[in-house]
Amino acid sequence: MPGVVAAGPPPILPKVSACDGDRRVPTAACSTPRKPPVSESSFLERNQFLIYRLFSLSGLIPVGAFLVVHLLTNASVLGGAASFQSRVDMIHSLGPLLVPVEVAFIFLPLAFHAAVGFLIVANGLPNVGSYPYVGNVRYTLQRVTGMIAAAFIVWHVLQLHWLGTPVGGGQFDPHYASSSAAVAIRPLWVTALYAVGVLSVVFHFANGLWTLGITWGIWTSPAAMRRANAVSVVVGLVLAAAGLGALGGLRTLDVDQARATERWMEEQREQRLPPSGETSTVQPTSTTGKGE
Amino acid sequence: MSQPKILVVGGGLAGLAATMRLAELGVHVDLLSLVPVKRSHSVCAQGGINSVNTLTRQQGDTEWKHFDDTVYGGDFLQHQPPVKEMADWGPRIVDLMDRLGVPFNRTPEGFRDQRRFGGTLFKRTSFAGATTGQQLLYALDEQVRRREVEGMVAKYEFWDFLAPVLDDDGRCRGAVCQDLVTMEIRAFPADAVVLATGGNGLIYGRSTMSMVCNGSAVSRAYQAGAWYGNGEFIQVHPTAIPGADKLRLMSESARGEGGRVWVPRKPQDSRDPREIPEAERCYFLEERYPKYGNLVPRDIATREIFDICTNEGLSVEKDRLCVYLDLTHIPRETLDRKLGGILEIYEKFQGVDPRTVPMKIFPAVHYSMGGLWVDYERSSTGGMVEGSPRNQQTSIPGLYAIGECDYQYHGANRLGANSLLSCIFSGLFVAPSLVAARGAGAGGVDPARFFEAEVRRQDERHRQLLGRTAGNENPYDLHQQLGNLMTRVATVVRRNEQLVEAYDEVCSMAERWHRCAVSDTGNWTNQNVVFTKALGDMFPVAKLILKGALMRDECRGAHFKPQFAMPGIAATDPIAKREEAEQWCDRFEENTAKWLKSTIAVCGADGEPEISYQDVDTSLIPPRPRLYGLVGGEVIEEVWKERQAGRLDVNDQSSSLAAAVG
Amino acid sequence: MIKAAEHLDHESGNGHGQAPEVHPVRVRILRQDVAGGESYWERYEVPHEPNMNVISVLQKIAALARTRDGRRVAPVAWDCSCLEEVCGSCTMLINGRTRMACSALVDKLLAEDPVEIEIRPMSKFPVVRDLVVDRRRLFRSLERVKAWVPVDDSYDHGPGPRISPEQQQDAYPLAECISCGCCLEACPQFTKIELSRGDAESEADFEARRRQAFDANFVGPHAISQAMLFNAHPTGGMIADERLEALTSKGGIQMCGNAQNCVAVCPKRIPLTRSIARAGRAATVWAIKKLFDR
Repeated sequence: MPGVVAAGPPPILPKVSACDGDRRVPTAACSTPRKPPVSESSFLERNQFLIYRLFSLSGLIPVGAFLVVHLLTNASVLGGAASFQSRVDMIHSLGPLLVPVEVAFIFLPLAFHAAVGFLIVANGLPNVGSYPYVGNVRYTLQRVTGMIAAAFIVWHVLQLHWLGTPVGGGQFDPHYASSSAAVAIRPLWVTALYAVGVLSVVFHFANGLWTLGITWGIWTSPAAMRRANAVSVVVGLVLAAAGLGALGGLRTLDVDQARATERWMEEQREQRLPPSGETSTVQPTSTTGKGE
Repeated sequence: MSQPKILVVGGGLAGLAATMRLAELGVHVDLLSLVPVKRSHSVCAQGGINSVNTLTRQQGDTEWKHFDDTVYGGDFLQHQPPVKEMADWGPRIVDLMDRLGVPFNRTPEGFRDQRRFGGTLFKRTSFAGATTGQQLLYALDEQVRRREVEGMVAKYEFWDFLAPVLDDDGRCRGAVCQDLVTMEIRAFPADAVVLATGGNGLIYGRSTMSMVCNGSAVSRAYQAGAWYGNGEFIQVHPTAIPGADKLRLMSESARGEGGRVWVPRKPQDSRDPREIPEAERCYFLEERYPKYGNLVPRDIATREIFDICTNEGLSVEKDRLCVYLDLTHIPRETLDRKLGGILEIYEKFQGVDPRTVPMKIFPAVHYSMGGLWVDYERSSTGGMVEGSPRNQQTSIPGLYAIGECDYQYHGANRLGANSLLSCIFSGLFVAPSLVAARGAGAGGVDPARFFEAEVRRQDERHRQLLGRTAGNENPYDLHQQLGNLMTRVATVVRRNEQLVEAYDEVCSMAERWHRCAVSDTGNWTNQNVVFTKALGDMFPVAKLILKGALMRDECRGAHFKPQFAMPGIAATDPIAKREEAEQWCDRFEENTAKWLKSTIAVCGADGEPEISYQDVDTSLIPPRPRLYGLVGGEVIEEVWKERQAGRLDVNDQSSSLAAAVG
Repeated sequence: MIKAAEHLDHESGNGHGQAPEVHPVRVRILRQDVAGGESYWERYEVPHEPNMNVISVLQKIAALARTRDGRRVAPVAWDCSCLEEVCGSCTMLINGRTRMACSALVDKLLAEDPVEIEIRPMSKFPVVRDLVVDRRRLFRSLERVKAWVPVDDSYDHGPGPRISPEQQQDAYPLAECISCGCCLEACPQFTKIELSRGDAESEADFEARRRQAFDANFVGPHAISQAMLFNAHPTGGMIADERLEALTSKGGIQMCGNAQNCVAVCPKRIPLTRSIARAGRAATVWAIKKLFDR
């Protein structure tokens, strides 16, 4: 091509193209046109709208709802080891149902949300450099935080949940909730990663709440969007405070004292509940002693 | 030919209306346009569309009055039956556009709202915000898109019409066109070809028209033998925003809402206009026309602004002619409410807020009343016979013209908000005529050889241009020179000595065009060659405009020659006044007898226009003088009315005599 | 009354005599000779004039047909028509941002970058040549959502439906869409589709393949907004379900990522995100109805 190429930068936009009816992939992957595609499309393509709507919904229910409960529960550590422990106990009172519940209402929806999310991220072309508008920055951040959240959640689950035990994780002990968690996050880098992870998740959720309202047509006018945005910001700030508060609470926790409290609480539970598993008349709300 | 097919060239209001109607009638249409049809120049129309409506009807308005206003405004230069037919169709056209979803402004009860426009006493103009043309065009574009999906319409966008294809009998059998992307030249056989290619503002360099309004298609039809009518009638709009690339329209409503036009009394006063005291400002329209002030009719406003700048040297700027249009005395919120849209245009393109700083404006070429001569068949009621193959047909059988590129509806001067009506009307009305014309040419002769010959000719022309790399003329500079010349001599004020000179100059420019060098010799989206070609086709039209203007020694509508102006009554004494008025009317009648004729230009063998004149059908409304703003107009009117009454008496007598004899 | 009209030099904005401090305008243009070809930068310089816009810069470059270093080149190709921001032709990337060349004033651009103005073709549509792009996909989207009022015919059936001023004021801004493509260019969810015809492929096959690619991908904010415009019209709404069907099929409204760039770059300030949210609501209701009415 003509020799003089001025010193200016080359076009920086990523070059993408489409192959037939497929999703767009980088040009290199579709240099030669294939035969006209057969008109039948895949299940995913036919149900794209439904899938994207389920994706949107799953971010709120159940994943988002779980997030809110999770963060608020964690924040209870600020009220002392006992308060946190009693909430954890409540969750674990599901006993053998806990695992199916976790899988059905948390892990599967989360995995679905993540999988579709990756697809969406892969198909977008963030351009915040050219169009540094607030909405666009948020669009980009939504994707960035989504990816961070995905990575963070995997790590977080492996580190604390018993599922991670085979790989040296599973550090959280539901009987010793505060103390085990406090020990787990104690290294500064772990706390830092948690802070980043929690903030990403919270941003992703709060911003997602706002976009969900647009996607489903709950707020439609620019004014309504602004109002909804204010609500989302408040939700985000509350959750961020809760998440960071929990981290702070765990870092400042007196582990030994907490462990003592937890041990005492465990003893209390065992005393109240005969090992046989008979229903206690004293504490009708607790059905079983131990989770897991 | 198996499948009947019509080729419509141009996708503005007229072309789309015709296409929509044809597709509906079951005729396949090839729709060809220089730009995607949704980007046609019709989008630029702001004001509205005129028609009698239920409201005005109850105030005494009729289709006849709309018709009368139109021919009176056009100084009686148009044949009356088509205009009558158009006015009759007005209400149903606006109803149709309403049904197509045009978001016309509404009254609180949900009816269409109307505003008043120049040249009438009735609120006839329906409007959709400040972008009525855009909204009408989009509605038609949508219908055509719908027909395209159904397979009735094939669009050829970014295609250029190069020439009609004529058979041995001189009948149009299709056209040869060029793809502006691949530069492919090919034939489009058709049972009839319709040109709907709009105006030719580009001949004037910069105008209020779009860059596609180069008039090339019309010129090519003219060069192929089609007659051109009333070429010298070009409407100049008084207020436009001067720009280096184009002159943007500043709507009349700015003056309607109280805008004042002035210049500093001191030539090129360099002070900030806001600093210039009242006493040092010349509100020349208000001074010269105390009665009408800034709202004098368009042609007068145009001439006065032109005059104060060119002859009195009071232009605001030295290098650029302009006057102030001042709105700064009007409260900001009033301006925003009533003129928001158009003020934003000024702000956007000039970077100055017209709410605080007076606007700088100057007249600009706006509309071509003239265009391809077209025929019509008169009905017994004085309108047109619907479906007659003669309607809108040019002098070449099988070649039709509609919209701004025909000469039919606006005479010597167009009324505001009538152009949208004439475009849609001629588009809808031509469709059954085309269907009727379809059979006419299918005489069994295989037209292939005509197509081949024309394609070869156009290929040759294209290749020759591509090979022209050595010339010393730059087509863009030449175009600018042509535009400057035409603007100088053939717009607001015309003088024979200038026209003579200009004609020679255009001839020499046309010669120089042959020495134009193209800087792009490639054969892919070569805009350079396309432009050069279009420029070459501007000269024949420029010549016919100049020659038509030169030969027409009178003042009529947009055509103003001071040498032949008929000034008002100078005398003050009642008897002398009366006498002068009699003389005035004598002269008017004489002039009418001599000049109330359509100018017909035919392209001679050497490319020079041959001008002849054709009588105008004024059988429905007899011509009468336009006296708006003329000194002593009331006396003239009195005399004129007496004469008309006397004439009627004579007619009555002779007819009763005839009846008695019969 | 009017004397000789000599010296009517209609030339506007010639800054001579008053331009001691204005520098020539420097421009850098990303050029491309043919569809699918390599792109390359070229630099130009034109005299500055007051109130100049990018179109007049390009006009001067076309007349000049020379680069800044004096090399003779083919004039830059670009699209334009009305020059008053209503035809939608002249969209390009100017100083990195999508906008209409006609309303991009040079002085404002120089305030963004005093050294040079950068002009590139739109990046989401295939380049035809230089700054000319192929925006057929944009119009195809309008077909996908059936952006029209399905009238019976164009015969006289009296006026259209009564419409309140509020409805009109709601519809009018949407009807002002000039199909410029700015919203698509800035949308991070709208990505380029550039296909080339295979050696053995017929024109018709290629056209079918292209159409299929268009139809499988994001329809774009402009078309969503048009769908809402026509669904809100009393007659247009008679095929509202068909439009919602289109909006919820592949490449429909679900592709929107809520970046809201569309509304930020729209030269006509059309409330596109409002249309998108309304389409979202309509789709929600419609999908539920479809589920239960079946």
